[in-house]
Amino acid sequence: MKNVALSDLPPETVKRLLSEGRLYLHLGPYVTALSTKDAGVREFLTDMYQDCSILVGEEALVDFSLEVRAPNLVRRYIRRQIVADPGFYFPAVPLPVKLGPLCLEMGMNLCVALQSFRQAIFHAGVVSDQKGGIVIAARSGGGKSTLTAALMEEGFRLLSDEFAILCAETSFLLAYPRPVSLKNQSIDVVRVFAGADQVSDRLTGTPKGDIAYRRLRKSDLETANLPAKAKLILFPRFQAEAAPAVEKMDIADAAMQLIASSPNYQVIGEPAFHALMQMLDGVEAYEITYGNTEDSLMLVKDLWEAVDG
Amino acid sequence: MVEMATSENPHERVRQFFCFASGLTPLPTDAKALSDFVSWAQRGHILGQVAAVASASDNKRLQTLLENAATRSAYDKRMLKFETERIERALLGTDIRVVLLKGSAYVAEDLLAGIGRRVSDIDILVKEEDLPEAEKLLRQAGWKDEVSTANPYDQKYYRDWMHELPPLRHSKRRTIIDVHHRLLPRTARISPDHLAMMADASPVGDGNLLVFAPVDRFIHSAIHIFADGALETPARSLLELFYLFNDLSVQERDSLESRAAFLNVMSPVQIALWALKRYFGVMVIVNKSNISKVLRLSIETMVENGRAAPLARVLLYVRSHYLRMPLPLLMAHLFRKAIRRG
Repeated sequence: MKNVALSDLPPETVKRLLSEGRLYLHLGPYVTALSTKDAGVREFLTDMYQDCSILVGEEALVDFSLEVRAPNLVRRYIRRQIVADPGFYFPAVPLPVKLGPLCLEMGMNLCVALQSFRQAIFHAGVVSDQKGGIVIAARSGGGKSTLTAALMEEGFRLLSDEFAILCAETSFLLAYPRPVSLKNQSIDVVRVFAGADQVSDRLTGTPKGDIAYRRLRKSDLETANLPAKAKLILFPRFQAEAAPAVEKMDIADAAMQLIASSPNYQVIGEPAFHALMQMLDGVEAYEITYGNTEDSLMLVKDLWEAVDG
Repeated sequence: MVEMATSENPHERVRQFFCFASGLTPLPTDAKALSDFVSWAQRGHILGQVAAVASASDNKRLQTLLENAATRSAYDKRMLKFETERIERALLGTDIRVVLLKGSAYVAEDLLAGIGRRVSDIDILVKEEDLPEAEKLLRQAGWKDEVSTANPYDQKYYRDWMHELPPLRHSKRRTIIDVHHRLLPRTARISPDHLAMMADASPVGDGNLLVFAPVDRFIHSAIHIFADGALETPARSLLELFYLFNDLSVQERDSLESRAAFLNVMSPVQIALWALKRYFGVMVIVNKSNISKVLRLSIETMVENGRAAPLARVLLYVRSHYLRMPLPLLMAHLFRKAIRRG
């Protein structure tokens, strides 16, 4: 099979492949067959994933198939709605058709979270530099995505904004770089430090308020086949007006919180346990509290400097 | 003499897929053929079963996908064994006879039909008079009303008309049990003699839980596929029937039709045998006159054209409901479902 960048395919080819469900997006460890007839989703995809690798040919073996479509015939025409269909039953709520890009992104997340059993998945952002990786655990309103996007501007490469993907054999983290999902106030924060052209149009009225995506960087895609060894685990806590604070966490507590965030740890069982234990060996975990992005960056830089290379 | 069809022929193509899926022939080495087959198996949720019978390949991508599917189905199997034990424990010390149905039975007995199978819920059958006690004990053991059917309409609907309690979900482990007290809804046009089947059930190992005798096991699968569900997952359903049929001795196969007649379920069993003959080349004599042409065509379209069969899907959906309840009740129910969805 041939590998080409999405931007190298003529728009009519992309349209045809998407309507046939044969646009094979090859990103990190996964190949996803994408299918949609929705123009909004197609435009978002062609723009945000333009530098991504596409498999061209008829003999793809795919990990996931995702269709973004109207939930039923009525909603295809009247008060139009759209929903992600990952090929198995999932109680996804149909959204107004203008939120198609959100369905695509959520659908792609669903595929990884619920259908990938070769790697242990934890809900966390991951960035790295030559020293190794920083895992930023997800907490509701904790600021994982904002911090991940901020660290991207500080010379870190993005492995993932959503998943720490732990290879069971090597205990290294795999990269699955995707557009970084930003909510509400963090959209403007990231527009300021990354540049307005690096952030997608705002989707308004989603179930989580406003959402926009920070663009994928070419450099992160080019290094996507390089795994990273975790060196630091952070549990961020955003609190308006809070003074910056760092508290060291018991590594067992960190492990339990990561496990609780995993959609597939139980499914993989023992190999996931061993991989996680090996990943945590010699790694330190901290809870960091902050009231703004500058403070969070300062805290992370201090902690990262103390980590051995 | 009938001319040999090529694999461009949808019927022949699906037959070939079933041969790959059941390990009768090795997986294709041609990349395009392999891709077509794997995506068919993925859509039908049977890749775990393919992984269980496929021999090792030097195609790394294929191995990766098969291992992924095998990990998932190994988990399903662990979960099912665990939950089955919990059910046994919850009902311990009572006289309630519990028959494991479908996947949980196949796994308990280590049948080929259970290896690599994807399972999401556990089906059990108890006598109707034992239902209140069984429900009470399962609730005490942590199973509660599943949220999506906890509303008064669904609760009443299930209890008044269906063959099972509204689904129960375990509050901690999130697993679902369907507790049946018969094999088809109270209102169904066919009324299988489940008590005769229960009388012939035997214990799993030296435990308290029961499973149907092999012939009844096949018959129940046929009822479930062709008189209850709408054949929504054709690949999975037909593979299951094939494995269950394969596990029968010659005598058992010969007794299928008389047993089906005795249990009052001739029609689904005949459709099942017809389908096995059509898709697996199983050597059986099938009396096609009892199977309507429209039904056969609908099943063929559904199995052979997969998703591109909306009309067949609608026909089978309507048929499955028509078989399950009288028209006025059906209309009231579908109307209710339609406005709730909108």
